[in-house]
Amino acid sequence: MSEAEVFKVRNRLAQHVAEPGGMTAGMANSRAGRELAAQHGRSYEAIGETLETLEWLCDSRDAPMDSVYDLSTQVLDIAGLFDDKQLCRAAYSLCELADKLRTREGEDWASIKLHVNGMRLIWNTDEAGREHLDAMVEGLWALTDRLRVDSGEAEGETPAAE
Amino acid sequence: MSLHPDIRMNLARSNVLLIDDNPQALEVLASIFRGFGVLRQIKCGSAAEAQTILRSREIDLIVCDTVMPDMDGYDFVRWLRREGPEEARFSPVIMLTGHAARTTVESSRDCGANFIVSKPFTPEVLLQRIYWVAKDERAMVRSDTYVGPDRRFRNIGPPLGVKGRRKDDLSTHVGMAKDPNMDQDEIDMLLKPQRAAL
Repeated sequence: MSEAEVFKVRNRLAQHVAEPGGMTAGMANSRAGRELAAQHGRSYEAIGETLETLEWLCDSRDAPMDSVYDLSTQVLDIAGLFDDKQLCRAAYSLCELADKLRTREGEDWASIKLHVNGMRLIWNTDEAGREHLDAMVEGLWALTDRLRVDSGEAEGETPAAE
Repeated sequence: MSLHPDIRMNLARSNVLLIDDNPQALEVLASIFRGFGVLRQIKCGSAAEAQTILRSREIDLIVCDTVMPDMDGYDFVRWLRREGPEEARFSPVIMLTGHAARTTVESSRDCGANFIVSKPFTPEVLLQRIYWVAKDERAMVRSDTYVGPDRRFRNIGPPLGVKGRRKDDLSTHVGMAKDPNMDQDEIDMLLKPQRAAL
């Protein structure tokens, strides 16, 4: 094995950032917040469409777990930019579940359906009234943690430390 | 630990490349960067598209999603660091990650990105990482198994203007002296051994 080479590179970003002008971090953050607010409606509409596709997959029950994984990452992708912790936590749980299932070549549509219903409930509820949904999200996680997929069968097990 | 709101940064002349296969997420990301004052942003819907851009444009910062079809974000950064165009090869990269699938844990560690930001996050967190990347003085390492920023961190304290999390966290930027300089006699007194009369 050859020796590692360590060297310095020019950071053009550092030069630009230090140029006169620009704005304060506080101003940049509030401007970004306003831009983000303007995108909220269209983005949550897109999340709604993704949930619709997931609901359809749950009804047909014949899609590969890769599709479930990809769709749940899409929800996480958009909701994550809005710092929507609850929806992200539910979507992450579904990602984890689908990832476990596809790794072991299993499927568990009942648990997937519960996740999709949970995400739809969060999506339908105003942020101000969501506090009571924390327990539901924890329940989804308990489901994912407890799931042991063995030869395509789901059984309970001690929650894994992850 | 957040960036001090009075810190001034100028992103107007930076060329930022945003990569995400999800068109809506890409649009939202672009709007956040617009808010940060970035005037020159290029949006790419795939790693392949980004590869083409990098061959023809000078890029100062790359922000890339991890989960993408065909070539994912980790493979893209690995390509950039090893086979990317010479002038773009060591451009700073911030990866945005949603779910870390079992198969990608090792890839994320070894891909050579400067920072990995987990979703959900706020614009404040993203701006802070951009600032850190701009102030990142780490050297690059090229070895058989890894190309990217030196991962051998040492604790040099939080960046200037950022409050540390530990109570004894001090920045290496010591700033201006608060007290007047000592005169030579005082310095001599400190250095010269004195006989003590007991």
